[in-house]
Amino acid sequence: MSERRILFEHILEPGTGKAVELLKGQIMRIEQVEGNQCADFNCFNLHDYKEFMHCGRTRTVHGFHPTKGAFMWSAPPRERAMLYILEDTVGRNDVLFPRCSAYVYEAAYGFAVHTNCHDIQAEAQREYGLTPDDVHDSFNLFMCTGVDQGGHAYMTRQTTKAGDYVDLLALIDVLAVPNVCGADVMRTSNFALKPLKLTVFTATDTDLARVPKTPVLASQRTPKDFRNPSIKTDRPLRRDPAYKPDFPNTPIRITELPVVLSAEELAAFNTVKRADIYGEDDAAALRDLLFSWWEERFLQAHAGAPSIESE
Amino acid sequence: MTDTVIKLRLNQQQLELMDRTIARGVAPNRVALIRLAIREYAAARKAETKAKPNDLEPMR
Repeated sequence: MSERRILFEHILEPGTGKAVELLKGQIMRIEQVEGNQCADFNCFNLHDYKEFMHCGRTRTVHGFHPTKGAFMWSAPPRERAMLYILEDTVGRNDVLFPRCSAYVYEAAYGFAVHTNCHDIQAEAQREYGLTPDDVHDSFNLFMCTGVDQGGHAYMTRQTTKAGDYVDLLALIDVLAVPNVCGADVMRTSNFALKPLKLTVFTATDTDLARVPKTPVLASQRTPKDFRNPSIKTDRPLRRDPAYKPDFPNTPIRITELPVVLSAEELAAFNTVKRADIYGEDDAAALRDLLFSWWEERFLQAHAGAPSIESE
Repeated sequence: MTDTVIKLRLNQQQLELMDRTIARGVAPNRVALIRLAIREYAAARKAETKAKPNDLEPMR
């Protein structure tokens, strides 16, 4: 396909959200109408809602402010790239803050009822049979956040303009749920609620060619791989008397590996070993050195994040 | 000065990673891999110290 074709347009009025079926190869544009408006966003596999966007994995891979060129990943054990950020005219989004909720506005501001992202998401997701418990951590578009020196997350005002947008390309069929953030008494959207525009259009071949390859690994499991593939349908938790634990790679077995170091090797080790942590336990310090070296030499991604094949 | 023996305690997963690294041709065996790690890690820290003389705690 050489030209984008518009499939859907919708104005998200303040206080509202919309669940939209976004099929593989389609793009959702979330666009500022007046400017300075944060959008919260949830995303589910359209054919299996138990697979959903995981901000934790996403921020590990792409940092706290995913932007153009980043993927939105699903939670373990699926861990697939669900969406690709194809364009971002601002470049300031957030996967650090949770969605605002009724509790926040009641506890901090005394509101009995107030627009809030959790309840807006829940109401939008209800159209597809989901419950308030299914709302997950949000990808916060156009939200300016950071971490202060004390380790606390903070938010500040944004400087987006009318026409600024983020384009999200679906890599699988998803239910995409954006909402106008309900915060009008916080800095998130500069103390006002404004509309946002949604546009869904087909991606062109050029758009699709811009997506880097991501790994396809055996560890990306689906329900056919689960020991318990059935979704639990009642609320209480009861012990399964037939349960027998089967944890991977257990029991953990320890092997002792003697390493003979020459005087020169020992001297080199002594100059860099973490005696501040391991004291006189040279075995633990050498194990630390070994895997720290391995990370430096072979790890292609940030520690704890999956590697991504580049273009 | 005599040689020193350090007895590493490694689990099966850690040994698997070492063995896969050895299979890539990085070192001929586990002990040689550890010796290589010491040499390269120490050299990298030395280079960091030269590059950043005032940085007491680089990325370790």
